[in-house]
Amino acid sequence: MAKSTSKMDYLPLQIIVSLFVILVVFRLTKKYKDSALKISEFIGWLVIWIIILVVFWLPQTTSYLAFLLGIGRGVDLAVYMAILICFYLIFRLYLKSDKQQKEITKLVRHLALDKEEEFKN
Amino acid sequence: MKIFIIIPCYNESQNLVKVISQAKEFGEVVVVDDGSSDNSFQLAKNQGVKVIKHFLNRGQGAALETGDCYALAKGADIVVHFDADGQHVASEIPDLVEPILTGEADIVLGSRFLENKSKTPVFKKWLILKPAVFFQNLILGVKLTDAHNGFRALSRKALSEIKIKQDGMAHASEIVEQIKLKDLKYKEVPVTISYHEFGQGFISGLKILKDLLFGKINK
Repeated sequence: MAKSTSKMDYLPLQIIVSLFVILVVFRLTKKYKDSALKISEFIGWLVIWIIILVVFWLPQTTSYLAFLLGIGRGVDLAVYMAILICFYLIFRLYLKSDKQQKEITKLVRHLALDKEEEFKN
Repeated sequence: MKIFIIIPCYNESQNLVKVISQAKEFGEVVVVDDGSSDNSFQLAKNQGVKVIKHFLNRGQGAALETGDCYALAKGADIVVHFDADGQHVASEIPDLVEPILTGEADIVLGSRFLENKSKTPVFKKWLILKPAVFFQNLILGVKLTDAHNGFRALSRKALSEIKIKQDGMAHASEIVEQIKLKDLKYKEVPVTISYHEFGQGFISGLKILKDLLFGKINK
């Protein structure tokens, strides 16, 4: 049974992931065309999703990279990278939300002071 | 001499009227209603003082900065920051203003530990405030006996130099940092703090630390 964990067993998952990635890339392209994404953001996300596709179709590439980085198994490298990327994105989101909070405060202050008839910024 | 007393307030209908009536003897009171959902705004208005309203709650630091901006634009010579919950004693305002009038200081900070006028709960004093004072002095290179007191007076010079960017409670540490960075003359005077059941606990302390840390990263 264990031996049958071959390429054939992977196939359904590979197809599902590929379809999902195609859908995401399609949406990314649309967002880029609608100017909702900057070119750097578009390329960044595109690279991430292509890497995911490569990892699912050619899992041995992670083993090769893992070996280069001194990590035992390819799957470990994938997990480490995923965790790192997730933490980084959470951090970025936090900073962005903090910045937006500051902007909201500025707006609230401006409106509050602007209401004072004699006080105009 | 134009003295403005800035009272940031958020749902303080219980104490606000008493606080305003006591404070207005010592200067021009400006209440900054920080998006209260109770009738604090109307109560303050009825007292015949200037009331500025944040239509969203943004935190005490944000409300103080709004008050400071208003006072600065109105030509204030001295601004006093005063809490709306009744924990500060209005009759001590002249003690804070005095060192500015004599040119001894640009900013005067109230301290509850200089003369032990306040009955600070033991747990709060030794587990929260004293360690906070120790780290504040260590990190910011100041010599203060209290931290996060909230009762302070600023000269026009200090008012123009200090810009509060921390919306929450971390503004108190931010002000101390600005004093050091802008090389302002500071002095502490003893003040009385009446304690209520609420106030800043250990969790609030952690939030302040987090706000300060991210404030540094996210300038």
